[in-house]
Order: sequence, then C-alpha cells, then structure tokens
Amino acid sequence: MTITETSQIGIAILSLNGTLDALSAPDFRNNRSVIDPEKSVVIDMENLDFIDSSGIGAIVGASRQKRQPVGGIILSCMNDRVRKVFEITNAQKLFHIFDDTIAAVDFAATRQSARA
Amino acid sequence: MKTILAFREEEYAWVHEAFPCIHPLLLPLCNKPFIEFLIDFAIIADSSSLRLLCDGGFDAVERYCENGSRWGIDLSYGSIHPDDTIHAMLGKNRKFCGEERIMIISGFSFIRYDKRLNYKSLANTMAAGEWATCPGGRITLSGMPGKTPAHWVDAPLSLMPLDGMASYYRASMEALESGADRYVLPGYGDEPGCAFGRNVVISKSVEIRKPVSIGNNVQLLADTVIGPSAIIGSNVIIDRKSSVESSIVFDNTYIGEHLKINGRIASGNRLNDPKSGASIAMEDPHLLSGIKKKGVLRSFPRKFTHAVAALVMIAVLFIPFVILRSLLKLRGQWKSARTDFLSEATGMTMSLGKVELSTASSLTSIAAALSMDRYGWLFRVLTGQLALIGSKPLPAEKNRLEITRSALSYRPGVFSYAEAEEWPSSDGDATGGDAAIVERFHIAHSTPLSDISLIIKAFVNRFQEKSIL
Repeated sequence: MTITETSQIGIAILSLNGTLDALSAPDFRNNRSVIDPEKSVVIDMENLDFIDSSGIGAIVGASRQKRQPVGGIILSCMNDRVRKVFEITNAQKLFHIFDDTIAAVDFAATRQSARA
Repeated sequence: MKTILAFREEEYAWVHEAFPCIHPLLLPLCNKPFIEFLIDFAIIADSSSLRLLCDGGFDAVERYCENGSRWGIDLSYGSIHPDDTIHAMLGKNRKFCGEERIMIISGFSFIRYDKRLNYKSLANTMAAGEWATCPGGRITLSGMPGKTPAHWVDAPLSLMPLDGMASYYRASMEALESGADRYVLPGYGDEPGCAFGRNVVISKSVEIRKPVSIGNNVQLLADTVIGPSAIIGSNVIIDRKSSVESSIVFDNTYIGEHLKINGRIASGNRLNDPKSGASIAMEDPHLLSGIKKKGVLRSFPRKFTHAVAALVMIAVLFIPFVILRSLLKLRGQWKSARTDFLSEATGMTMSLGKVELSTASSLTSIAAALSMDRYGWLFRVLTGQLALIGSKPLPAEKNRLEITRSALSYRPGVFSYAEAEEWPSSDGDATGGDAAIVERFHIAHSTPLSDISLIIKAFVNRFQEKSIL
C-alpha cells in the first residue's frame, strides 16, 4: 500500500492506494499525522482496494489517539467493498464518512477552528 | 432531481423485536417492502438517483434493491452518524448531490401519496425547506427551485410515523384499502381490491371477501374464509375451515385448521395483537398436526403404495437409464459421489449416491428431465429408507441432527413435495424455509392416493424444468 500525504488548510489528507491489511497497517499507524493527537486527518479511500480487520483496527486505533476521537479522523470516498467491511464490523458508527474529500476537509477545518 | 433516504437504527428498533427475521426497511406493507414505497414516491417526484443512508447495517436491503436498475434509477448507499442533521447529510454526500435539487426523506414513516397526482412539478418548484412532517419523519427539499408552472396543481402529501406495531398495522390496512388506485401494489387481479400473486391455489369452497392481497405460492384450503381486509404474504398455507379477517399473515407462515384470525398479525410461529402489542410464540416453527407420532400400522399403506409406484418407475425407466448412463459415462458427463443424508429415524444417517450431470448438453438435459440422477434412490424406496415423495433429503451435518430432532416431520423422499407444488427451494432448511412449510403440510396431511398424484406432478415438473436446459 502507498500512502500519499497532502495538506489543505492545515488538514492532513492521506490518500491510501492498494491494500490496508496486517502487512501495511504499521505504515499507516506510524504516519506522523496519524500519531499527532492534535492534527485532524482526512483519509481518502478512493483507491483503497481492500481492507481487513487489521486495517480497520489501525484506523480505529488512530482515531483513539486523537484528542477528538470522532472528528479527528474523517473518512472519504469509500468504495462499496470497503464500505461493506465497515458495515459488517459496525465501525461506520465511529467515523464521519464523506463521499467527497474536499467536503471532508471543510468539515475537519470547521471542527478544528471551533475547537481552537 | 435526486433523493436521499435517511434512517437511524433507533427509529425502527421496535421492528427488530416484533419481527426479528425481517430487516425493518424490508418490512412488508400490503405485500410490498416498505423501502419500495419510498422508492416509488421518489420516482414519481422525478428523481433519477437515490442514495440510501443508514447508521446501521443494511446488507439485506442492498441485496434486495441492488443498484436500482429494476426501477430504472441509480441507487447508491452510504453511512450516516446517528446525530447527523440534514445539513450534515448534504455535506457528507456532496459529490452525490452536486448542484441538483435534493429531496431528503428521513425517518421511518409511511408516505401517503397518490400515484395519479403530479408531485414532479411540486418537488421541483417548491421553495427549499420542509415539505411534509410528522413525529419522527420529514420530507425536506434543498437546492434552487425551478420556475413555477402556469397551472399550479396541489398534490396532497402526508406522513404517518411507523413507531410501533399498531401504526404498522394501520398503514398496511390503509394501503390495502386505498388499493392500487393510490399506490403501486404487487399482484394481479381483474377487479379492484383483489390482488393475487403467482401460484395461488384456491379450493372450490374458499370464500374471498374484498379487499384482499395475496402473495406468491399460497394455498387456501377448503372452507377457508379470507377477508375482508386480509393481507396474506408469500409461501403461506391457510388450512381447512380457518378464517383470516382484518389481519396480516407474513411470508412463510402456516395457519392451521379451524383457526380464526381476526385483527392480528401472524408471523412464522408468532401471533401478535397490533393494538396491545402482545404476542405469543409457538414452540415449533409451524404447528401442523398433533405431537403424537403416527403408528407403524398407519404408515404401512403409504409405504406399500410408494414401493409399488417405485417398482413401476424402476421398470419403466430401466432401459433409458442404462442407455443414458452408459453414454454419459463414456463422455465423462456422469459423475457420482456418495453423500450422507439424514434418515427419517431421529439422529441416524444414510449414505446415498448423488449424481451430478456436468456440462449442459442435449443428453444431460434428457437424463435430468427423466430424473435419471435419482434412479438409484428408487431402490431405497423398496427398502423403506426413502419415501417416493417427501422432504428434500438434508445433508447430514452435526447441527442438523438437532434440527430433525426438533422438527415435527421429516421424511426424506426421492422427490419432494416442494417440487410437486413448485415452491421455491429452501436449500435443505428443515427449520422453516420456504419449502419446509409445504413439505411438512403434506407429510402431515397426505394420503397414499394424494401422494401418487403429487409424485406424477413432481416428475412432470422436473421434466418441464430440466428439459429447458
């Protein structure tokens, strides 16, 4: 899996490409923006082909590290395959999920400024 | 225009308790799943795309609705957070919404609309804001309205909250009484207030009082009285001298003999009173006959008839069997393996040869049509291990040993009653799948003579079904 990190209005956008599983989950977990408890992160899942329980665990674990667990990690552009995994595990209730990355960034920025 | 349908689990939590086998969004209202009423309304209001949002799982709904192609619309799915507002929902689905006008239907409520009225121009030209509301549900419009037409025609619309069994019962009865004039309802019928599904068997002395809605694969036996205001689902048997009035009978339900169902909701082995919300559940999935087992002497005429009929079939099909089997074996299209199946005797198993006719060709088609794959089983009828017609043999699995112990009747047969009655296959589910009802009904009620006619029916049905291949 490759992680491409960009930033918009102070919000980190991590674009995941490939498979998020036990093998690639540590790369995600050790990402600097993910570790930073103050930083809001938008995870763009448009090119994420597959996710397993380790991947879900990594994302849930990352959200727990944030100061605001629900708004700290925001998910965007989930495809049907990935969405079904979130549904089966009931993990979709833990996140705000957007179908557009820009809208997710706007939401994260609004939350961050409200917190400040 | 596009439509968003949004639901929260807490709104329909009562459905999980009252009808645990059904996803709340697929709860049937007048034999039509609830979600379809909303999809119909969205289409009438000129929506081309629809997004279904929920904060819980909706795998069953997704399997049922798929991508919406059956309604000619694009249907997609998404998740919401339990405390999302309308504004938040629009933000989270910005890509879906684009710049178009959006209608948001939120909450678990029934929309009272009239398919003959023009909601299209109303939905497109009304100012943004609430269109209709009720406790727990609302229809909201968002985005720039179009130009108001020269001839403004109002189309009344209201919402009815589905917050319990009583309101569900009311909505179902309302849909039935309004009939096909207001809503798109399933079934066929040449007079108003009467809709029938496919494969409905009505005995001569059955009395039907309008309005009624009857689903697919329904058997109404002698002297039953159906209606007024009866909604009978699919795969249902109403046994002799029973009446169903102002009641809803869910799919896969059996109503025994001499029963009077009035103002109730019958679902599987549960009978609910919509007014008080009280329900009683039977111990067995379907109560068909007395618990007392039939004696050996009573089963002798049946076993004898089946053995004679099997002998006739063995003799008649012998030459075709020898020829077809040899030819198919030479071509490598006849594959057989031994599989363990549950025997009629509780907890016991038997080994049966299972033939698979690989690759479709004219020869395999003929062999399947003549039931050659079951020829070997006919000899088991002579030894009394199998009936000629009975239940579909269940593969012997550990968890199923318990199932047959708890099931009222299981009599494995070469042919199954479900094949004779053309009921959908239950895939060997002894606990109460679609076919289990019809199989158990016949096991409890059949006579040697009726068995013979059912054997012929099953053979002919298989012939017609397989010869298409």
